[in-house]
Amino acid sequence: MAAGCAWFLVLGSVFLCNLFKTLLPTISSFLLKVLQKDAEQERDMRAEIQEMKKEHNSVSMMDEFARYARLERKINKMTDKLKTHVKSRTAQQAKMKWMVNIGFYILQAALMISLIWKYYADPVTVVPSKWIAPLEQLVAFPSGVAGGVGITCWLVVCNKVASIGLHTIS
Amino acid sequence: MQCPDDTSLNTPEERTCLSSAQRRAEIRRRKLLMNSEDRMNRIVGFTKAEAENNGSSRSVTAPVFHLDLDRSDSWSTYPSPRLSPFLPEAVGSSHPHSDLPGYPLPDTSEVLCGGVDKDVTPGVRQRPRGEAQLAADEPSHSGSPRRGLQKYLSRFDDAMKLRGQLANEKQAQEAASSDPDELDSFRLFRLVGSVLLAIFVRVFVCKYLVEKKMQTTVLTAALLLSGIPAEVINRSMDTYKKMGDVFADLCVYFFTFILSHEILLLVGPEEAETP
Repeated sequence: MAAGCAWFLVLGSVFLCNLFKTLLPTISSFLLKVLQKDAEQERDMRAEIQEMKKEHNSVSMMDEFARYARLERKINKMTDKLKTHVKSRTAQQAKMKWMVNIGFYILQAALMISLIWKYYADPVTVVPSKWIAPLEQLVAFPSGVAGGVGITCWLVVCNKVASIGLHTIS
Repeated sequence: MQCPDDTSLNTPEERTCLSSAQRRAEIRRRKLLMNSEDRMNRIVGFTKAEAENNGSSRSVTAPVFHLDLDRSDSWSTYPSPRLSPFLPEAVGSSHPHSDLPGYPLPDTSEVLCGGVDKDVTPGVRQRPRGEAQLAADEPSHSGSPRRGLQKYLSRFDDAMKLRGQLANEKQAQEAASSDPDELDSFRLFRLVGSVLLAIFVRVFVCKYLVEKKMQTTVLTAALLLSGIPAEVINRSMDTYKKMGDVFADLCVYFFTFILSHEILLLVGPEEAETP
């Protein structure tokens, strides 16, 4: 039964990997929200800048020049601070995204290697060799079993089908 | 006093020839005659084909139309060389042309008597106002005006028939307009099908094509910079795209084949186990 389900195991693994790949942006943004604690600070800064701008518009430059200039300096300072904060957040976001992607690809590679290692000698499934003639040798690689479907061929096929299907759905 | 043949009413002698009633009648008749040519042209133009095919038909239902072929001032009570086609010439009247062929016009005398003016010259009965004297005083004329009159009369008859037919057809169409329910549902089905197909193509096909194009832009730019001609790049890209499509089709085919085989194997032994 376990040998009979090898094709299903490989198919399931490939399908999950592709599904995870499509959800990578969502995962990276979720992780960023969890790990980045200064998002509130950025929100407060934006609100403060909005308030100061409102006050700045209400103050007359001719009548209260000192207050007007002071407000303008504050707004500029806060805006620069916000810009710096946004830059660092964007950099962190890009780093997080890159790390998530790298982690995913490493996991995927590990999974593929383990599957190939497991089913190197055994085919994932066996069909009459006449059904897949004249490509039976290529399909059976690296198991060498006549009429068998090798792990590499099945991995490639499942990857292609999964990517087409998920792309169509998304 | 005999009025002159000149048709002008402006000389004092001519005015004295007419009584006031006759003058009024003449004015009315002239007013009617003014537009008769246009009316008849419209009718004749409309029913020209039917008039030529049908010949003479005399069942006129709308009298009081006059056609004056020669529009001039001599229409009033003075003789004019032609007659109106709707002029009902009474049978047995003392008309100077009663011995001509085609005289009198059949079946019109009793119908076109809408405006008989009894003040006109006696002996001409059932004539529209002012036409009686016109007919009575008509000089000797050939049969062609009469034939023309007959022709116009037949055309008018055909026009009236056609109008009746059109009205009947319109009523029949309105009565029979109850069965577009089937057409409406079929049309709705077609429309819905078109909408669904367009949505499907837009969502699944166009998106796929656009994405592919964007992916090859950077590669194409890099190849162009390396000196490879654009035509070669385009042809190569097309070839590789088609190869990729063929490979994808093969993969989907092989996957479906193996999957169906495994499902049959799974279902087959279970069916064998069940009694």
